[in-house]
Amino acid sequence: MVDALERFRKILGADWVFTGDKVASYRDPYTIPNDAERFQARAAVAPASTEEVQAIVKVANEYRVPLWTVSRGKNFAYGGAAPVLSGSVVLDLSRMNRILEVNEKFGYALVEPGVSYFDLYRYIQERGLKLWLDVPDPGWGSVVGNALDHGVGYTPYGDHFGMQCGMEVVLANGEVVRTGMGAMPNNNTWQLFKYGFGPYVDGIFSQSNFGIVTKMGIWLMSEPAGYRPYLITFPREEDIEQVVEIVRPLRLNNVLQNAATIRSLVLDAALFTTKSQFYPHAGPIPDSVAKQIMADQEIGMWNFCGALYGPPAITDVLWTATRDAFASIPGVKFYFPEDRKRRPDILIHRADTMKGIPKLTEFGFLNWNGGGGHVGFSPVSPITGQDAIKQWRMVSGRVREHGFDYMGLMAVGFRELHHVTVIVYDQNDPQERQKLDELFRLLVREAAAEGYGEYRTHINYMDTIAGTYGWNDSSLMKMHETIKDALDPNGILSPGKSGIWPRHLRAGRKS
Amino acid sequence: MKRFALMTLSMSALVGSAMPAVAAEIAGGEVFTHYCSYCHGTEEGPGTQQLRRTRGADKALLARRTDLAPVYIEYVVRHGLKSMPPFVPSDLTDAKLKALAGFLTSPLPRP
Repeated sequence: MVDALERFRKILGADWVFTGDKVASYRDPYTIPNDAERFQARAAVAPASTEEVQAIVKVANEYRVPLWTVSRGKNFAYGGAAPVLSGSVVLDLSRMNRILEVNEKFGYALVEPGVSYFDLYRYIQERGLKLWLDVPDPGWGSVVGNALDHGVGYTPYGDHFGMQCGMEVVLANGEVVRTGMGAMPNNNTWQLFKYGFGPYVDGIFSQSNFGIVTKMGIWLMSEPAGYRPYLITFPREEDIEQVVEIVRPLRLNNVLQNAATIRSLVLDAALFTTKSQFYPHAGPIPDSVAKQIMADQEIGMWNFCGALYGPPAITDVLWTATRDAFASIPGVKFYFPEDRKRRPDILIHRADTMKGIPKLTEFGFLNWNGGGGHVGFSPVSPITGQDAIKQWRMVSGRVREHGFDYMGLMAVGFRELHHVTVIVYDQNDPQERQKLDELFRLLVREAAAEGYGEYRTHINYMDTIAGTYGWNDSSLMKMHETIKDALDPNGILSPGKSGIWPRHLRAGRKS
Repeated sequence: MKRFALMTLSMSALVGSAMPAVAAEIAGGEVFTHYCSYCHGTEEGPGTQQLRRTRGADKALLARRTDLAPVYIEYVVRHGLKSMPPFVPSDLTDAKLKALAGFLTSPLPRP
């Protein structure tokens, strides 16, 4: 390893090879296991160009050094910049932060992995371009990294990987590939047409360790002629069944235009308040306190934030259809921003995010009980009331049994619900971490038994989640491993990512 | 705004392009705006809320604090604290971090 690090220094310069104390910033900030040896990087290297990535990969092959690739390393609820395999060298692409093109006419950007949502937003605003981003909650995250990890946002462009178009990838042997139309010399549709000719391969570079994405196209939304965010609140937890039944036809018919979310009481209240303000005790809040919070914050047990996009002649009709559909739920309330008088307020905040303004405000929920740590449990289900209430009962019941408050959301995709439950825990308390770990593994097992699979997870659970996708004697994982062995025979790229291990580290790791 | 003569870049180079290896100076206030203000720059920011909860209302807004030592600032930025994650040196470089620590320990008022 020492020789490899010296070679890395010759490629990058000593300033961009980090060892010793400098590696502390690459640890998982919200660690879960009590074994301090897990998920520890040996070093980090920070190239500034595709050519430097190629050079690093060649050295890594020569010395069999495992590289753990991160775009900006801001995927904090899922491990941050920390590697699955301790001793890996983090390949930190933060310095590859060039915005190569923003095309207003066709609505796309071509960016490197180090470009954050803040960066791209600022670039667009400074130039007065009539384009909107779609942003996830962490505005400091990588545009490329979030799409590759199947992140979601809040506008009609909320499926980030669905909006990517064209990649440049450095393979494990150092060769550079451009996907889709980018494979044709002198072509001018790399960011306009995804599929090119032949197999569509972009997907195998998402949530994977088959290559290093060094450029990516992302489609951007043209600024609409009008915008009207709204909030609809529902007073009972059991309302989620009826709410989701109403949501499905509205979404399938594009009456609901954006990737709207239905959030639980505590998740929304926690943005701007703390638990101790209402309930200075351990354990989940009782129903009486929940009602108090509802009244105090003017929110419901479930809160549906959505937005209308387009000229008023269109959005007025869409709003009428939306309002009428939800009006049958007893106790429902409808708000526009001008109806919300409290400050700060969740609709005023989300009016920004639903129009693509990157922020970090959503992470106020980490202050709910002061523990700082958080992890997301994220099973996917059909958009049916039956699935929604079943999932809510399964997850909220277990979460509360383990002493945590239920902080959940249901994000409405094109055909599915992402049920994301955030568990906020005291990362400095080994017993609480242990309790969290037991809870998480129980949730995974029980969800899998009912056919619900997670779409994304923390580095601590990648093998576990991969193990639930085991249909036909794990034939999908066998295919992944075949691809892995072919593209990366020395197993240098991100060993263990999404449960995919190189051949020499594979034995005994099946979950 | 107080400026700290340190190596590397102007603020415009913080965004949208790889860092040039030229000598310039870093404005600590601009580093604060770029890296810290989203959490620590407003009353409703998550960082402000955390400090209000743990340190009290008079210490909630980071840029108005006068009780922080540079070595403490540098440690927290590199290691994180509670819900605040660490910042990696490839992005928030040592030079920028020193400028930031200088800004947060400079006399009030800080523009």
